[in-house]
Amino acid sequence: MTPGDLTGPVPQHEGEIRDTPAEVDAAFRTLRRIAFTYFAVFLVVVAAFPVLSLTLDWWLDSRLIGSLSPGFLTVAVGLYAVFAGIGIAAATLSSSVEQRMLGSQETDE
Amino acid sequence: MTTTAIITLAAVLVIVLGVSVLTRPRHSSTVDFYLAGQRVGVATNSWAICGDYLSAASFLGVAAAVYVSGLDGAWYAVGFAAGFVPVLLLVAAPLRRYGEFSLADFLGRRLRSEAVRLHSVGVVQLVILCYLIPQSVGGGITWELLVGHGLFGLSPYSTGVLLSTAVIAVVVASGGMRGTTWNQAVQFLLLFGALVWLAATVSADGFRYGEAVETLSQEPLVNPAPDGDQWQLTQEHNAISPGEEAVFGQPGARYGQLGQVALVVTLGLGTAGLPHVMNRYFTAPTGRAARTTTVWVLLLIGMFYALAVMMGTAARDIIPAAAREHAWLAELTVEGVLRVPEHALPVLGRIYGDEAGLGLIAAAALIAAMSTVAGLLLASAATWGHDVYERHINPRATQRQAVWVGRASTLIAASIAAALAILLRPDAFTPAMPSLVATMVTWAFAIAGSALTPVVVLAIWWRRTTAAGAVAGLASGSVTAIAMFLIASFMEPGALRELFAAPTLVAAPLAFLLTIAVSLRTQPPAEVEADWLIMHGTAADRHAERMAALTMRERRRRKEERRAR
Repeated sequence: MTPGDLTGPVPQHEGEIRDTPAEVDAAFRTLRRIAFTYFAVFLVVVAAFPVLSLTLDWWLDSRLIGSLSPGFLTVAVGLYAVFAGIGIAAATLSSSVEQRMLGSQETDE
Repeated sequence: MTTTAIITLAAVLVIVLGVSVLTRPRHSSTVDFYLAGQRVGVATNSWAICGDYLSAASFLGVAAAVYVSGLDGAWYAVGFAAGFVPVLLLVAAPLRRYGEFSLADFLGRRLRSEAVRLHSVGVVQLVILCYLIPQSVGGGITWELLVGHGLFGLSPYSTGVLLSTAVIAVVVASGGMRGTTWNQAVQFLLLFGALVWLAATVSADGFRYGEAVETLSQEPLVNPAPDGDQWQLTQEHNAISPGEEAVFGQPGARYGQLGQVALVVTLGLGTAGLPHVMNRYFTAPTGRAARTTTVWVLLLIGMFYALAVMMGTAARDIIPAAAREHAWLAELTVEGVLRVPEHALPVLGRIYGDEAGLGLIAAAALIAAMSTVAGLLLASAATWGHDVYERHINPRATQRQAVWVGRASTLIAASIAAALAILLRPDAFTPAMPSLVATMVTWAFAIAGSALTPVVVLAIWWRRTTAAGAVAGLASGSVTAIAMFLIASFMEPGALRELFAAPTLVAAPLAFLLTIAVSLRTQPPAEVEADWLIMHGTAADRHAERMAALTMRERRRRKEERRAR
């Protein structure tokens, strides 16, 4: 038995519509745009630290919350919050796109 | 052995074995053994992925790296946490929807090529070995600290390595993915609980994060290094401003600007190619559940790493003063600075909770190592058992035979990892590698991110990917990564060495380019449109959700009927 037997292309049941290739292609293109846009944001965020360290004295010398510098605060807490934010936003948007663009003809039971 | 050590070890054993017995496999099928029947819910799977991912390298290694290198050590935590962003954006949902047993199986079936499957098995096994060894090292270090003496004539370190690996190998071989999932979920909650306890206790005692960073940054950063038979404190060089002193709260104690980015890219791209983590996604019921699970993982590991960085700072701040009060710290420190940085958290635990505190942190460290070892052994079993044995050695194997081969390969992989961990004692490496556990894990991430991630991402998002392209990407990525980090060990410190030591920034783009170039010259599989419907369509998700809703409705109806009677 393979997982594909359980979860691959499912047989058509009453009240259930398979996705058409055109629908899937349209959804795929939208999802690809979302994924790669957020990935670009992620790369910019990661690359920003060394750039800010080089260009802004304030980044490492000033003090913010709890007497920590913006740079230390970013590495200690801030980046994890940004990653989670990117994740939540991308997941919400992707799921909503899939819901809107796929299975729209499906009849409710 | 102290009473605390006995209680701690007994508690770890009771938890691990208890969970395994309660969740033992119900059927002798490969889907049940490797994928827990593909019915693992979002909460359980997110805890299990965290348990799987947060290894000894995360628990002992991140705090150790911060302890040694200050702000630069925190880049390990950032890189480890960043890894799940590409997983969520590019891999989780489509990979699950394709629904195969392992990364090698996914690539082999998607590209209709046994050559791709076998090349992937080779890369996957290399990644697993690089990741297994430091986990076993973590088990050995913890036993050394907790128990302090060996059994059957072995050293304490070797005893720890052998016992922790043996226990988890037996648990995995008998419990399969179902037992491993629940073990990893429970183990993550315990691990997280231990870190929260330590952070709360240290803060309640007056530790102030910002003030500690400020104080530590007033003086140059120093660490112990051997000088003949003696150990001496030596000043760390500043990699960003060579003329200036390296300090705790500023970048430069370990990496230059390029090194920071190279490390984060290596760790960030590596996660999407880690076989033990990606295999967990096949256990989710739907692609959407896999995506939601990753969001929860991002939140949970973010909190975990923030606490780990804080505890590395706390250890650096607190241990020098504690060394003057506690005689037992004398043999572990040089003028108040730990010789083995991986001791930072267990030592903090002992300072604040005496033997019980050491026991709790040691139990958490053992659990961190064991839960990751469990995932790695299962991933190894899936590739040997399914991708090699079922596909190539005995294609007519019964389900029972395939499961037994998976169990046997678990035990063999565990034996190899334990033997190599004993050969690579951490004391010998510490002066050259500030945190051996975290450094060795970086190698696993480098190979995974350089070879597997580019090919997996292209197979999911680019229809034109071909088998020949994938083989070129797998070979070039892995060979380049290995060559670069081997060359790095012979290079003088500098920006180029940092880039070579974390090679994904170079190796992954090369693998991407070669996969694309070779794919464009060869024919993609004819069935690619059918694959696209499975990976990017949601018909299977909707079907699974409908079945789950019907099952719930039926359960409710029966419950109401019973009540009415």
